[in-house]
Amino acid sequence: MSNDHDHSHGHGHQHNPPGPMVEEVSDFEALEIAVRELAIEKGLFTAEDHRRFTEFAEHIGPTPAARMVAKAWLDPEYKKQCLTDAIKASLAVGVDWLNPTGFGTPSDYTDLRVLEDTPTLHHVVVCTLCSCYPRPILGFQPEWYRTPNYRRRLVRWPRPVLAEFGLQLPPEVEIRVEDSNQKCRFIVMPVRPAGTEGWTEDQLTEIVTRDCLIGVALPRPGMTTNIPLPVHKPAKPGHH
Amino acid sequence: MSQHDRTHHAKIATGKGDPQCFKGTAGPAKFKVGQTVRIKDLPDVFYTRCQVYTRGAVGQVAVVTHESPAPEDEAWGHVDHSEWFYIVRFKQKDLWPEYPAAFANDTLQTEFSERWLEAV
Amino acid sequence: MSSTTRERVLRHLTAVADLQPPVQKTGKAPYPTEITSELFRAYTRSPHDVGGEFDVPCEWTEEEHEAWGHRAYVTTECLAWRGAWCAEERRRMQNVDLGTTQYLGLPYYGRWLLSAARILVDGHHVTLTELINKIDEVKKRHEPAR
Repeated sequence: MSNDHDHSHGHGHQHNPPGPMVEEVSDFEALEIAVRELAIEKGLFTAEDHRRFTEFAEHIGPTPAARMVAKAWLDPEYKKQCLTDAIKASLAVGVDWLNPTGFGTPSDYTDLRVLEDTPTLHHVVVCTLCSCYPRPILGFQPEWYRTPNYRRRLVRWPRPVLAEFGLQLPPEVEIRVEDSNQKCRFIVMPVRPAGTEGWTEDQLTEIVTRDCLIGVALPRPGMTTNIPLPVHKPAKPGHH
Repeated sequence: MSQHDRTHHAKIATGKGDPQCFKGTAGPAKFKVGQTVRIKDLPDVFYTRCQVYTRGAVGQVAVVTHESPAPEDEAWGHVDHSEWFYIVRFKQKDLWPEYPAAFANDTLQTEFSERWLEAV
Repeated sequence: MSSTTRERVLRHLTAVADLQPPVQKTGKAPYPTEITSELFRAYTRSPHDVGGEFDVPCEWTEEEHEAWGHRAYVTTECLAWRGAWCAEERRRMQNVDLGTTQYLGLPYYGRWLLSAARILVDGHHVTLTELINKIDEVKKRHEPAR
């Protein structure tokens, strides 16, 4: 917000007529504006491109991936398609991986793979090199997924890290870490939990949270939100 | 870099996707699902996506995924040569000396372009 | 105001010294024979390759992004959409070329933003002079009225 004139310094002075309300910008904000304006000035993309991609980015979230899992739990043929051609299976939950450019998002590519859990195999995903994540079907990564801490530790100490998220599995269950380091993108298909017999697709979708799709949580009846964690708030928020 | 054709990728990939646009460009895959491979410790000066923690480790090819330029080349915009990519699966106890024996079934898998693999 | 600038400059010189790793505080480059193969590898490693390094349990948190951060993300994707670079070039510039100090010390979207600025210059789409002048102009545009 713009500064009020501070008169606490005690000596009088002449005011210029007040200028327009301007906000101070951080070094990051100034650079962001400069880069975007220059890129548009030089024809590297248009303001309309930026608006269209922003709209795409504001509409992605974890629900389509949750619905994909729910549908797969209910329909063995769909489940087979998820495991052999997840890009095609994504269409059934409203996600066309070629959007919005016609050839996919530049950073997320178009090779989704679904990792099927069994009673003796549990998957969990990390990108040790950066934070690769299947954004078109799962939305944006949680902040913890991007941290060097998660990326250092999950590959080497997966069980202690999962325990910090509240997930402990017996030794008979193989924990398989997927280090997502190339163009493939991954979601976990958990085992359908007990206590969901006769549930509708909507009911099942509700309990497949983002944390379940990464692999740091298991779905269960009544758990419709991610693990509650402290949320760092921004100085100047974007769209959420 | 200012001379490169900025419309090239859209031309080859629209309607297909990436890495689908590189399909058929790498020749025959050298390795098969189930094959035992070792990760080479090639020099990793300037850039690599072959994690150092995998170098020298032995695992099994779990999936043959797709053809694409290797990231070491793509990172400078070179897309003329493609390689096959493979997801290789390791036992955690083979990667980390202190991995608890109690969890001997645990595994890790990650993806490599063909140049990083050698048959064992 | 020149006195504020001078104060800023002197603070900067202290801050930069604080970012130097202890091994570099001798004030001169090491002799080649002092660089073991292990040190060579450590210095020339790709900073983003952190899997398996030691770290301690921490508090996991979520974060709501700054508006500028998401705009920067959209900018990098638009630059790739229209062919100025591809995502892998971005990752190299953003996660490796920056070097370990900036890699670990800057905010996540701060690095996306810097890489977008970098490709404008490295790709010869703008000169550094143009970039400097534009940033200066943007900052002046947003100075509160005096």
